[in-house]
Amino acid sequence: MAELALEVREVSKRFRIYHQRSTSLKEALVERRRGRYEEFWAVRDISVDVPPGHSLGIIGENGSGKSTLLKCMAGILVQDKGTIVSRGRLASLLEVGAGFHPDFSGRENIYLNGAILGLPRRYINAVLDEIVGFAELEQFIDNPVKTYSSGMYTRLGFSIAVHLDPEILLIDEVLAVGDEAFQRRCMARIRELRSEGRTLVFVTHSLESVRAICDRCLWMDRSRCRMLGEVDAVLAGYRAELRAREEAELAMTEAAVVDSSPGRDGFRITSLGIIGPEGPTSILNTGDQVTISVGYSSPAPLSGAKFAITLLSEGGAPLATVRTADLETADLSLPQEGTVRLVLPGLPLLEGLYRLTVEVADIASGERYKRLDGVQPFRVHSEGRRESGMALLGHSWEFPRVTEATAGR
Amino acid sequence: MASTELLPRGSLQPRPRAPQSGPLAARYELLMELVRRDVRSRYRGSFLGVAWTLLNPLIFMIVYAVIFGRFLKVHYPGGAPIVFILSGLLAWTFFSQALTMATNSVVANAALVRKVAFPWMLLSVSAVVAALVNFVISLLLLIPFMLLAHKGIGLPMLALPLLIGVCFAFSLGLGLMLGAGNVYLRDLQYLVNLATLVWFYVTPVIYPLSLIESKFSHGLIGQVAHLVIYANPMTWVVEGFQDVFVFDRWPQHWHGLGYSLLVSLVSIWIGMLIFNRLRRRFAEEV
Repeated sequence: MAELALEVREVSKRFRIYHQRSTSLKEALVERRRGRYEEFWAVRDISVDVPPGHSLGIIGENGSGKSTLLKCMAGILVQDKGTIVSRGRLASLLEVGAGFHPDFSGRENIYLNGAILGLPRRYINAVLDEIVGFAELEQFIDNPVKTYSSGMYTRLGFSIAVHLDPEILLIDEVLAVGDEAFQRRCMARIRELRSEGRTLVFVTHSLESVRAICDRCLWMDRSRCRMLGEVDAVLAGYRAELRAREEAELAMTEAAVVDSSPGRDGFRITSLGIIGPEGPTSILNTGDQVTISVGYSSPAPLSGAKFAITLLSEGGAPLATVRTADLETADLSLPQEGTVRLVLPGLPLLEGLYRLTVEVADIASGERYKRLDGVQPFRVHSEGRRESGMALLGHSWEFPRVTEATAGR
Repeated sequence: MASTELLPRGSLQPRPRAPQSGPLAARYELLMELVRRDVRSRYRGSFLGVAWTLLNPLIFMIVYAVIFGRFLKVHYPGGAPIVFILSGLLAWTFFSQALTMATNSVVANAALVRKVAFPWMLLSVSAVVAALVNFVISLLLLIPFMLLAHKGIGLPMLALPLLIGVCFAFSLGLGLMLGAGNVYLRDLQYLVNLATLVWFYVTPVIYPLSLIESKFSHGLIGQVAHLVIYANPMTWVVEGFQDVFVFDRWPQHWHGLGYSLLVSLVSIWIGMLIFNRLRRRFAEEV
């Protein structure tokens, strides 16, 4: 077997959290700083191998230790336990434009930043125009970078980083700041590096880019390795966990509790539920078949009741209301208790948090039996969809054709 | 609409592989780049620019010459009090400036240290080299005063690289310790300011060493002062400068100079040990 590009063996990293940030002489001498901090293990017992040419994605929630692990790999932090061995020229990109000097011109900073990242001066001489062009800063390159917009600043930093030529590259998600165009460039460059057969370690929140780029994935959870393996398996596990947490969070909210107190004539709504493709849930995907169930009980059988269900946006604006009163057989006769179900064959909502309003009334008098307003919060995910907004429109486009008559003009 | 162009021009062209320098050459290049930055940033945005490097010791030289030469009637051997004071003062300014800059070198680059792995020691080295560059420029100040005092330039000038080398090595050793230590103990920078202020007076810059030898060789305080001044490596560096510039002769205290050199080399060794030990937690403490 070929030698590993990166070998991480049972690495742990401990941070000191000072109760009082004090680095003054008085405290060091008089109050004895030792013992005045708490220890916190940011990374615990992580082992992972990366063979040359492979790419590893590291995912996990904020504070799970991904960036700390990456910094240990980069040599910025030194682990307290375990070993890290890397074979090959290693470069880390945790921040673009780190160490730019605000008073210096863009040109001066290219040389300075290049040298810090390990680019020889004569090489920078050769590619200077390319760097400046790539950053689209031709007119501003001799102005001090303190006069740059944040976009210009990141572009310049990234253009320099693009010219790095490492065998192993460690990238942190902070690269994913900036506008969409910038992120696309980052991703294009990362794919390029990947196809050139370089070894990559990639910390990110974007599960899509892990799927697109990585061979293997490490999921970190509260400083430890939760799962390490094939990308699809790890992502599935991670998604399931996120979903479960979200569900638990939604269930904790006040609006999730069904008010089953009796309304007019002793009518009660006893339960309210959302059923997705995999059963009762509060997390849905755009396009899912969704059933909304309303359980009720009444002292006497109902004749001529009408049900109405409204989808509300997070802000409470009604998006759509459907009523049984609109049915051709509107004259509903229902038993004393039971469950009314509304089936939506394809959920037409996009990413966001939504709520329901349920109302039951008498069809003849219009008198309301019971109304639950803004209840049963649920979240819709629309990962991988390009549309934006709240509602999913079924649509198609039509375009004019280029014909001989129009082409010449 | 060039401004809204989304995709980078030429992003898919094959990119030439960056040539790699060896680790030593790369370090040297990085050091030079950092020195350039440290030297330039010192004067960027100031009206008088490099003139400050000359103005500062010039003003102090005048003050000292008036107070000690005129009012206190200190006798400076060699018949050129101004050259005497200035030659020691320039060496001293180099030393104290190097220490001040090196002490702050790591902390001042916190953003860099937190995000990029490179030989951070070069930050402190660069601070000392930048002070050296300023010092070499400031030596120009001596020329007009040496001409006025009819002092010639002779062979003993060849001893300058050695004298400067010892001073540089000593500054570097202390600079490494202070630069690393200041990350953990920010009070060091104030301590350094105070210490150099006191240290200045136990270095024969504004008084000749012969004055100490003739007047303070008796009594407890005299003995202690004697000992401190003799143990001070900067004493022999400053003496050497005065020998070369004032007397146009080779440094007279070879034993002292050898001692200073030894202390300097040991301080570099200890400085590197301390720096390498403390750097492990730089990124989290800085």
